[in-house]
Amino acid sequence: MKIRGTVAAALASAGILLAGWQTGTQAGGISTVASSTTAAGTTGSTGTGSSGTGSSGTGPTGSTGSSGSTGSAGSSSSSGSSGSTSSSGSSNSSASGTYKGNTVQTRFGPVQVQITVASGKITDVTALQLTNTDGKSIQISNRAAPLLRSKVLAAQSANIQTVSGATITSDAYLTSLQAAIDAANL
Amino acid sequence: MNTHLLPASPAASSSGRPELSTTKRPPRGWFARQYRQRMLRTDLLTVIAWSSVAAAIALWLADGGATNITSPASLFTAAGIVAGLAGMDLVLLMLLLAARIPFIDRTIGHDRALEFHGKLGKPSLYLLLAHGVLLAIGYGMAEGLDPVSESINLWVQVPDMWLAFVSMALFIAVVVTSLVAVRRRFPYEFWYVVHLLTYAAVATSIPHQFSVGGLFAAGTWQRWYWLSICIYTGSALVYFRILEPVLATARHQLTVARVERVAPGVVNIVMRGRKLNQLAGTGGRFFIWRFLAPGMWWHPHPFSLSAEPVFSGSDGQGTLRVTVRGLGNGSAQLLRLRKGTKVALEGPYGLLSTAARTKNKMVMIGAGIGITPLRALLETTPFAPGEATVLLRGHTEQELYLGSEILDLCQARGGRLFHLIGPRSRTQSTWLPEDAVRNGYSLTSYVPDIADADVYVCGPAVWAANVIADAGKAGVPEEQIHHERFDW
Repeated sequence: MKIRGTVAAALASAGILLAGWQTGTQAGGISTVASSTTAAGTTGSTGTGSSGTGSSGTGPTGSTGSSGSTGSAGSSSSSGSSGSTSSSGSSNSSASGTYKGNTVQTRFGPVQVQITVASGKITDVTALQLTNTDGKSIQISNRAAPLLRSKVLAAQSANIQTVSGATITSDAYLTSLQAAIDAANL
Repeated sequence: MNTHLLPASPAASSSGRPELSTTKRPPRGWFARQYRQRMLRTDLLTVIAWSSVAAAIALWLADGGATNITSPASLFTAAGIVAGLAGMDLVLLMLLLAARIPFIDRTIGHDRALEFHGKLGKPSLYLLLAHGVLLAIGYGMAEGLDPVSESINLWVQVPDMWLAFVSMALFIAVVVTSLVAVRRRFPYEFWYVVHLLTYAAVATSIPHQFSVGGLFAAGTWQRWYWLSICIYTGSALVYFRILEPVLATARHQLTVARVERVAPGVVNIVMRGRKLNQLAGTGGRFFIWRFLAPGMWWHPHPFSLSAEPVFSGSDGQGTLRVTVRGLGNGSAQLLRLRKGTKVALEGPYGLLSTAARTKNKMVMIGAGIGITPLRALLETTPFAPGEATVLLRGHTEQELYLGSEILDLCQARGGRLFHLIGPRSRTQSTWLPEDAVRNGYSLTSYVPDIADADVYVCGPAVWAANVIADAGKAGVPEEQIHHERFDW
């Protein structure tokens, strides 16, 4: 009787572990796909954002603008910050252009963000680098980045709540963001 | 009826008068079926327990955990995560085993549930320690830090992690004091307070599981699974350990009716209450009683009923009775219990009851105060005349508490009764009195067909161990021996 229970339990456990393994290897395949798209995304970032995570609201309007800006930043970052050949050099303190934050190292990989500023307002935040050491980090990054972006755009500062379950990514993101804001003299 | 040549003449051996039998034996094969069902439930519990550990690891596997092991650092991290998952799962199993869930109690009994609970203590602590150490190493390697600075980093920088460190310290404190307490036999109250810390340890460990671990990030199905098993365990504890006892106490409205002296230092506590019909048939099972008087209310007493409820009115109004020996400092107070004292109860718990029967024949062997639960069991458990044997052991006739009631029951229901009186043997450890040993008697001398009977044993631990060993020698399979630890 004891043997019967033990055998049944061992079989059930083995089945569960096998099922977990099976889903895991499949999920691993998916996440590597995700990582390749985000890798593409760092250069032309928001193109994948609109296609991948279905951020339909922000996709068409905001993203095209930001992809343009990242494109320019990607080519020459220093010129991006200095060359504020912006549409209106109107104000005294309000700068315009794109500004990069510093790169923050975390155990899940480096994090760096860039902000786009127009007449003293943050109009877009782009993650140049996001935690990507493993499938989990990529998944977390993909989830956290849009949330953080919209929070930052709403608050116009780095003083926002971190995304739960993505604490380390959030902290690094906001640290880099603060550096970018400082660079922009906002 | 008594055709066997018995070494000691039975004090009673009547087997006629089946009309007086209070509980007729159920149809043939009923007990065997009951046993098969209980074994099936045992297997089910085994499967659930193993599967839950497997599921904890499968959560991580399903998340692609194993595919991410690419470096020594990630190997340490992975091992740390798996250790944490398995350790937490074992902690939840421990809590469920101690939650007094009726399904578990009915299946393996209270004392075996607590035995497993105790056995899981050390493995779960080791897993949790490994969890902390391996992750400190793994994260540290990834960031180029030594494990100690990495731990400090985690404590300072990562939200909820300081709670996890507090939790770890509490777990260590609980397990270490439990192990010491077992050895040194600290009072029950000390044990109790230490175990309350377990809840604090578990509670402080939960935040970091959901906020730091990426596995349980918001929106994942793993988060829902983990959340639901945590919530299930928590609600089982709250319901069965707090709410149910409070409800039972309110339902039965027990008050002490009278305290009767049975023998020196031994009393019957008779309690009056309502809806006692719901407690009928619990003979042999125990309740945890609290007598709500100043200086006594916080002291829980595990006592079995020593008789079936006696009904005096409708709605199950009547009286309950426990028989108590004033042993511990808490029990001694009970001898001076005042009439009208309110009583809180939890239970019934344990498997020293009809629910454990596997055979038609049964043998009840009791010593000292352990006789009294058998008295209640004998009153209701179903058997046909001639199928039950009672062996009572005491130094003197006076120590066979409730002996005369048992004699009456045996006469009424057709059971054989043996009184085994006398000092214990000085030369060897045995459950029999010295003169019986000298005459070469053993269990089969009294019950020749014991191998085909359920054997209920109730008495002091060492004595009971001797009985059980003797029963094993007489060919009684383990599953037919029913014994409840009565010494905590």
